[in-house]
Amino acid sequence: MVVAQGRGDRSPTGEAMFPVRCFTCGKVIGQYWEEYQQRIREEPPGKVLDDLEIERYCCRRMFLTHKEVFGELVD
Amino acid sequence: MASIQILEINKLKVKFIIEGVSEVFANSLRRAMISMVPTLAVDFVDIYMNSGLMYDEVLAHRIGLIPLKTDLEKYNLKEKCTCSGEGCPSCQVSLRLNVEGPKTVYSGDLISDDPDTIPAFDNIPIVKLKEGQQLMLEATARLGFGTEHSKYQAVCGCGYKIIPEITIEDSCNNCGKCVEECPRDVFSSNNGTIEVTDIYSCSLCYLCVKVCEENAIQIDENTNRFLFSFEVDGSMTPLKVIKVALNQLKERFAEFTEKMEKLSVE
Repeated sequence: MVVAQGRGDRSPTGEAMFPVRCFTCGKVIGQYWEEYQQRIREEPPGKVLDDLEIERYCCRRMFLTHKEVFGELVD
Repeated sequence: MASIQILEINKLKVKFIIEGVSEVFANSLRRAMISMVPTLAVDFVDIYMNSGLMYDEVLAHRIGLIPLKTDLEKYNLKEKCTCSGEGCPSCQVSLRLNVEGPKTVYSGDLISDDPDTIPAFDNIPIVKLKEGQQLMLEATARLGFGTEHSKYQAVCGCGYKIIPEITIEDSCNNCGKCVEECPRDVFSSNNGTIEVTDIYSCSLCYLCVKVCEENAIQIDENTNRFLFSFEVDGSMTPLKVIKVALNQLKERFAEFTEKMEKLSVE
């Protein structure tokens, strides 16, 4: 049994999934991740973020600086 | 009289002007929206089986952050519920997750006991499972306030700014320096005459006043007009958040007034 309060364990495997919310402002951003990932293959990331209406730079950096490494060590 | 004029609104975002109230009131409203609007969020997770790569506590934390659609008429605060905090269908919701890899687990995979209380977005990735990995858990959501944990906060990026009154006096020689200097492009030059065209963008930096050699620009900050903007996490609509926040303020002041009246009688 685990109470989902506090910051959780900062393990390399745990933090490597894209965060559900922006660390700074708390906006829910998880739902945009897969669309973002798909679209940046052909479009500039800044334009995609504008389209997704992610305005503040705190949320934008969450996308721009994320590297998906979850489970990579296992493969 | 206070009035509200909505400039922009959609499911997640609102921008409005509130007029005829003091800054004190505007700030109370902002604070009430942040900390006095309860929302549902998972705060207790029973994990029966987790053979995935993510630790139990990280998984529980991620599930906790997922916003749930909240109907405030349907649920009571756990402390104020008739079950006296034990947990009953009118103060908590149970969500189950039972999945097997290979699969990316999304928020939409959570199965709720209450068909109306579902995750606000069904495509938030929670965890990736590989072949043979399994996840079985039961999460319990309850109402809470933003003061306790940010997962209970209904709004984000909630703030207001003063909408000033900018007057350009007759001594203006239309030099155009203010148009150049203003970082927010509040001014524009219309056939050589300087005009204020985008007052909502003004950030009260006073650069235009400083640069004006004729001292022709006057800025009045005490207009009692405020430009509010905020986003919601999806648990309820922006207008609902404003209503709940105002009602909360009203209730608290009513309670306070009642106590004050008792004091004066004694």
